[in-house]
Amino acid sequence: MTEITKAANIRNFSIIAHIDHGKSTIADRILELTETISQREIREQVLDDMDLEREKGITIKSKPVRLLYKALNGKQYIFNLIDTPGHVDFSYEVSRSLAACEGALMVVDAAQGVQAQTISNVQMALEHKLSIIPVINKIDLSTADPEKVSKEIKKINGLSESPILMASARDGTGIREVLEAIVKYIPPPDGKLEKPLQALIFDSVYNPYQGSVVYIRIVNGVVKPGSKIQTMSNKNNYEVNEVGIFMPKRKKVEQLSVGEVGYLTAGFKDITLTKVGDTITNSEQPADRQLPGYKKVIPMVFCSFYPVENDDYPDLKYALEKLSLNDSAISYIPENSPALGFGFRCGFLGLLHMEIIQERLEREYQIQLIATTPSVLYRVYLKNKQIIEIDNPSSLPEAALIDYIEEPFIELTLITPSQFLGGIMELLQDRRGVFKNMEYLDKDIARLLYHLPLNEIMLDFYDRIKSISKGYASIDYHIMGYQESALIKVDVLVNQEVVDNLSFITHKDKAYERARKIVDNLKTAIPRQLFEVPIQASVNRKIIARSTVRALKKNVIAKCYGGDISRKRKLLEKQKAGKKRMKRIGKVEIPQEAFMSILKID
Amino acid sequence: MNHVLNIGLYLHIPFCFKKCIYCDFFSIATSDEQLKKRYISAIIKEMELHGKKNQEVELTSIYLGGGTPTALSGLQLQEILRACFLKFPIDEMAEITVEANPGTIDLGKCKLLFQAGANRLSLGVQSFDDEMLRKLGRIHTKEDSLAAYHSAREAGFKNINIDIMFGLPGQSKIGFKETLTEVIQLKPEHISLYALSLEPETPLGHLVAAGKIKLPSDDFTNKLFLEAITLLGERNYEHYEISNFALPGKRSIHNQLYWNCQPYLGLGAGATSFMSNKRYRNYQDPELYIELLNFGILPIECQEILSSSEKMSEKIILKLRMMEGLAKAEFRGLFGTPIEHFFGKPIQELKEQGLLAESKTHYYLTKRGISLANNVFLEFLD
Ligand SMILES: Nc1nc2c(ncn2[C@@H]2O[C@H](COP(=O)(O)OP(=O)(O)O)[C@@H](O)[C@H]2O)c(=O)[nH]1
Ligand code: SF4
Repeated sequence: MTEITKAANIRNFSIIAHIDHGKSTIADRILELTETISQREIREQVLDDMDLEREKGITIKSKPVRLLYKALNGKQYIFNLIDTPGHVDFSYEVSRSLAACEGALMVVDAAQGVQAQTISNVQMALEHKLSIIPVINKIDLSTADPEKVSKEIKKINGLSESPILMASARDGTGIREVLEAIVKYIPPPDGKLEKPLQALIFDSVYNPYQGSVVYIRIVNGVVKPGSKIQTMSNKNNYEVNEVGIFMPKRKKVEQLSVGEVGYLTAGFKDITLTKVGDTITNSEQPADRQLPGYKKVIPMVFCSFYPVENDDYPDLKYALEKLSLNDSAISYIPENSPALGFGFRCGFLGLLHMEIIQERLEREYQIQLIATTPSVLYRVYLKNKQIIEIDNPSSLPEAALIDYIEEPFIELTLITPSQFLGGIMELLQDRRGVFKNMEYLDKDIARLLYHLPLNEIMLDFYDRIKSISKGYASIDYHIMGYQESALIKVDVLVNQEVVDNLSFITHKDKAYERARKIVDNLKTAIPRQLFEVPIQASVNRKIIARSTVRALKKNVIAKCYGGDISRKRKLLEKQKAGKKRMKRIGKVEIPQEAFMSILKID
Repeated sequence: MNHVLNIGLYLHIPFCFKKCIYCDFFSIATSDEQLKKRYISAIIKEMELHGKKNQEVELTSIYLGGGTPTALSGLQLQEILRACFLKFPIDEMAEITVEANPGTIDLGKCKLLFQAGANRLSLGVQSFDDEMLRKLGRIHTKEDSLAAYHSAREAGFKNINIDIMFGLPGQSKIGFKETLTEVIQLKPEHISLYALSLEPETPLGHLVAAGKIKLPSDDFTNKLFLEAITLLGERNYEHYEISNFALPGKRSIHNQLYWNCQPYLGLGAGATSFMSNKRYRNYQDPELYIELLNFGILPIECQEILSSSEKMSEKIILKLRMMEGLAKAEFRGLFGTPIEHFFGKPIQELKEQGLLAESKTHYYLTKRGISLANNVFLEFLD
């Protein structure tokens, strides 16, 4: 490819949509119409690769693809479609992907209407000054109500004037119009070829042969193999090995120039060197500044993973190393618990991110895990003026040393049919939510804005919202920052011993209720031992709740004659095998399953 | 004559009139008389096949169990017992037991059994609480039990066992004690006392799982058990095995074979045999069982050869079920090494927990150990 691509003919865009509103199907239709690849290849290449992504309906990695479109005006255009991760945990990645575009298609289901995620994505897109093209999809459905949905869309800030397209990705209606609208409403990139190189990293994947492969959008300048480049956040220098475009398979090209989207390899040893949001420039003639918006992603949610079988520990370590090659947002440090053995304290972007990693460990690496209750990152201000960050309740210093504690707060957007407002507001109230705003998107659809501690959505929040609203409500949030809260640590003691993994930090008004619940649940989960086992919850060594597992007095006194002997022995052998797998808290033996059920308790 | 092997013979009759709601023993509720007839011919064929093979054995006991052996007629039972005498050499002192459901036996049947050589009757009384019996799906009443008992005496039985259950749903302490006291007043030579064990795949199991029936707590049934031990002890019944009590000299010869790991031959559908380290079990399905025997094939479904560690575990567990306990010398004789060599640490711990006690010659369960026998047994598996 010798001809330098003319920026005027390039359109870089993303598709933003709530899960299941049809993003993937529309993307498929677009690919077909642009005839970039054959139908068969579409199936093979375009669908989300990871099982898990497909199941959860989300994308973790950005997936760019370059398309050629011959418009009705006869001109040839290059489209770069950047598929973005679809979940709030990855909102920073989404924001970087959006930063690589000039426009976005906003897909809304004609029957479901606008959802919380749609709105926050739109807001993010508007912050990046993208041109937004609303597309109402699934108009073929009998339940479709495009007029109502149009009204909802016009209510969204910044979209009141936008022309709204109608489409059915299922039967292909309106897709041509969508492509024409991309040409017409999304501006071409406006960088300068002559300026020093500025390329935005919007994602990267690890490859054992080439190291980290970075996905870039060239904002200014040009880059080719042999170019000396620098990652601006850490001023490291490299030499480019290869540049290319996404067809959607990676395809080598001679250079990437202003406005283009592609990839680059330069012997980056690991993924932490190529952080999403960083700017790549020319070593010899660096740009005067980094592209805006770079931020270090930090884990917000923490939990410990322990292998169910202690022997799996080395495998767990290996698997975490492998996963983090491709996902720089995971952190993990070894940890040792008397009850659970060797494991890792891990950090994640959010709950979903945590779930995905847990499932991948279990599914792809076949490691059965015990996951402890997730915790947020607390900021503890000590009386000696030191500030420490705590991601594990058990490591909170003595209350006497603490001046005050801050916890992360989120701004939560929730969209729900108004009939469920009562129940939802009650739940939010209970979760220490502070009401900020409410508006109606339509006469029976409300949008709520709340501020509440991140900790309060860690346990059983999504499920509760879903059940209260019969599945209709949708939520989205972002972290606002840290605020002081009246937090205390509750310890749980089994047979007078503190069980580290069960300690939790909570608001003081909720301590008693939660302590009571956990103590009662432990009582049912812990099988009776040969001795009495007291279970207590304490705050600053003061007991606030207790219960007792009474001593085991008797087994079944069953007959045992000729035909029973073998069966009896096998039953006992099974029991014995179970006993060997039991976790121990001091003298108390707790079966694996019971321990897991305890850890799931909210 | 070269050395004769003393063995016990167990005969399984897998028929009942109706299934009790807690029962997971292998038996089927049937009134198919043809099936019963074909079954009897089959079990006699099985005796023939074994009788030919085992020339050098002598039976020290015969036990006709089930199911409900008395679901067969008196004459049918006679036919089976007679066949035993024809096919096997039998010690003249042999204990010959027939299990009987009180709802299926009368004086005539008792007489026929006695004439055929049976000298011990085991009555499945379970409880004297008629309401309870009905709830459990038992087909008899207290009156049936008393009548059966007296008929057996009248027919000449001088050795009778009565089975009693405890830990039954809704069972009161008073109710249980009443049953027990009345049973003791009958002066049976032997009493088996066992707890209802809840099997998930039974109607009772489902009812309990669904919360429709509640079983008494372990603490409560333990109290019943401990009180029963005391009561029986006061009346001269020796507690010789976890769930068995006997007047002096009246311990069950046949059942002791099991706990002493001695050889026995089990005939009938689903029956188990044990001979020199090998245990085998017959097919349970009566039709298949009959079919195979019609072809002259032994209907063995599976066999298990015990490893030496399994043998060791079974020896210890079964011996500890006996109140006398495990003789240290016997263990050493069998396995060449003192038991402490293999299980020193668990023995120490169990002693500290007050579950196991030691005399110069034996290890045996303490009173607490009897109640928590499974916890003790677990420690002797590897
Ligand atoms: N009836 C109808 N169904 C559609 C249409 N577009 C997508 N779907 C269906 O909606 C579901 C979600 O679509 P998908 O593209 O996976 O949504 P995504 O989660 O936004 O990527 C799938 O079952 C699609 O077959 C449409 O135009 N009409
Ligand atoms: S009579 Fe005995 S074998 Fe028959 S069903 Fe009842 S408990 Fe089971």
